[in-house]
Amino acid sequence: MSARVAPARITALLCENSAWKAYLDVAGAPELAGIDVVRLPCSGKTETGLVLRMLEAGSRGVLVVGCPKENCEYVRGSDRADRRVASARAALAEAGVRADRVRMEFVSSVESHRLLAVARDFAASLDKEATT
Amino acid sequence: MITATRKPFAEIAALLEPFDRVLVLGCGTCVTVCMAGGEKEVGILASTLRLADREKGRKREVLEATIERQCDREFFDVVREKIEAADAVLSMACGVGAQFAGEVFPDAMVLPGLDTKFYGTTLEQGVWSERCSGCGTCVIADFGGVCPVTRCSKSLLNGPCGGSADGKCEVDPKTIDCGWQLIYDRMTRLGIADRLEKVQPLKDWSTGHHGGPGKIVREDAKL
Amino acid sequence: MSTLSLESLKSGSRLERVLASGAFAVTAELGPPKSADVALIATKAKHLAGSVDAANITDNQTAIVRMSSIAAGYLALQGGVEPVIQITCRDRNRIAIQSDVLGAYALGIRNILCLTGDHQVFGNHPTSKNVYDMDSIQLIAMLAGMRDQKTFACGDEIRNTKKAPVVEPRILIGGAENPFGDPFEFRDQRLAKKASAGVDFIQTQCIYDMDRFVEFMKRVRNRGLHHQVKILAGVTPLKSMGMAKHMRDNVAGLTVPAYWLERLEKAADKPAEGIRMCVEQIEKLREIEGVAGIHLMAIEWEEKVPEIAKAAGLLPRPEPATSQGAS
Repeated sequence: MSARVAPARITALLCENSAWKAYLDVAGAPELAGIDVVRLPCSGKTETGLVLRMLEAGSRGVLVVGCPKENCEYVRGSDRADRRVASARAALAEAGVRADRVRMEFVSSVESHRLLAVARDFAASLDKEATT
Repeated sequence: MITATRKPFAEIAALLEPFDRVLVLGCGTCVTVCMAGGEKEVGILASTLRLADREKGRKREVLEATIERQCDREFFDVVREKIEAADAVLSMACGVGAQFAGEVFPDAMVLPGLDTKFYGTTLEQGVWSERCSGCGTCVIADFGGVCPVTRCSKSLLNGPCGGSADGKCEVDPKTIDCGWQLIYDRMTRLGIADRLEKVQPLKDWSTGHHGGPGKIVREDAKL
Repeated sequence: MSTLSLESLKSGSRLERVLASGAFAVTAELGPPKSADVALIATKAKHLAGSVDAANITDNQTAIVRMSSIAAGYLALQGGVEPVIQITCRDRNRIAIQSDVLGAYALGIRNILCLTGDHQVFGNHPTSKNVYDMDSIQLIAMLAGMRDQKTFACGDEIRNTKKAPVVEPRILIGGAENPFGDPFEFRDQRLAKKASAGVDFIQTQCIYDMDRFVEFMKRVRNRGLHHQVKILAGVTPLKSMGMAKHMRDNVAGLTVPAYWLERLEKAADKPAEGIRMCVEQIEKLREIEGVAGIHLMAIEWEEKVPEIAKAAGLLPRPEPATSQGAS
């Protein structure tokens, strides 16, 4: 494992067809200050193993944001991402690690404010005691 | 292929508990296809072990590697040093590979990461189904290409039994097709259903595992 | 191929003699206890003695452990009821089965019913290993071989030493058939296979769908099977609406047409109505060509067998000619 995430950073995997476009409109916002953003060609590119390695590398939490399922640019991509995130959460639970450090959200390209709300909510949840 | 499922994490963690330098060794053939022990699954398991260790404050090494197959000696060469350096090897191969790794490296503590299930096929991604039991004498030619030993819950050669209903087996009507309905339908489709009038005699089970652990020797193939 | 005749009896059992004489036969069931309770068998035998020609002694039915069929069958015999012991293929291999057949015969048992056997998943030991070394048809053939060819399945003669006399088990061989199982088109073919394997008599699964049974018997007669095999039609009296619904909904391979439940629903005294319907059904079954008798499975209601048999005009049981050869 060569990559290292700076301490207390959140990693956000954003689908370029939806969440990334929303992000571009609010790129400098304070809610996004502690977040490393990664652009994906489709949220379905997310792999369970990749999410786990991000946490190993020191990420506080991994947020995956894709197209609303009925509007996925690649039809099933965000549905698959959702299930892989669930798989990562299950692995974390087995490891005795709080599973809520990984989350899947659905945001369309015009929902910039919603993107910020989601980011804010995720960061706040990591400050609190584990819910799972 | 040979199919398997990964052992529950808790069981694997318990097996690996005494060891401080663990190698999780994957297999690139059957268990990759049935998504239990390939490179991807090795990565997920190894990450999970390392995250669990970190949570408990335990310092140990969990290394990963995947080779082509663990059922042939040659493929172990590339990971020889890693195996010899580890306190324990968690083999993510089927029961064949998991044992054979210990034969190639008799001083290595090789532990199984999978529960091996059956010889089967992929019906769709994520769904695998048993087809063959390795009985040692293939008789599917008499049954329209469908194996009564494996596809019938009771291995009847003169089936069906009274528990066949709507093409399903009473043992689990939700998941098990009645093997004899499959045989009957296939032979009807091929126009050979009349062959089912023949009373099939007692099977010689000794050609398979009932005759003892199997061994094949091909003198013509030996060097 | 089997034909029964009084002149050349195979086993000499009472059941065989009744069937061979052409009289309408009556068999019932006696379930052994889930314990070593010998008294229970005597009690059940008392209910049945005199009302039936023979009673089936089940073999770990539904894969639930009960006293062995042979032991309970021997005790039933002591209690005045001729047993039809059952052997399933689930728990014993060919070695154990042939051994058991010799033992059963040695104890005076003369009728053996050959079954595949419910899978162990249904019973109280679902984690056990099953056997299924053979199926019911191969079992029938194996027993016919023991009796008629006087050899074991491996071909050895049934004699203690080369000089000792051949002492083969002279038994009557039975089988079961479910006229309502799938695939329906295949059911009479399966009966034909059992006939060619050497079965002497068949008991069917309990019948409620009379139309389907009539259709089944038509196909059986078309093949001439009723001349080769004595067919006993299975009947089970309905005790209650609960039982009727259970038979309709929870028993695999069994259909219960609506008129059974409708009639039972209307009746004030349901058990009495259930018995009435059973008796009417027996009368109808007697009229179907090829039906040689009934197999009355009064589940948890064995004490009603005499009443049903009497109301259906089946008592007293005939005393068929005794044989000269077989014991």
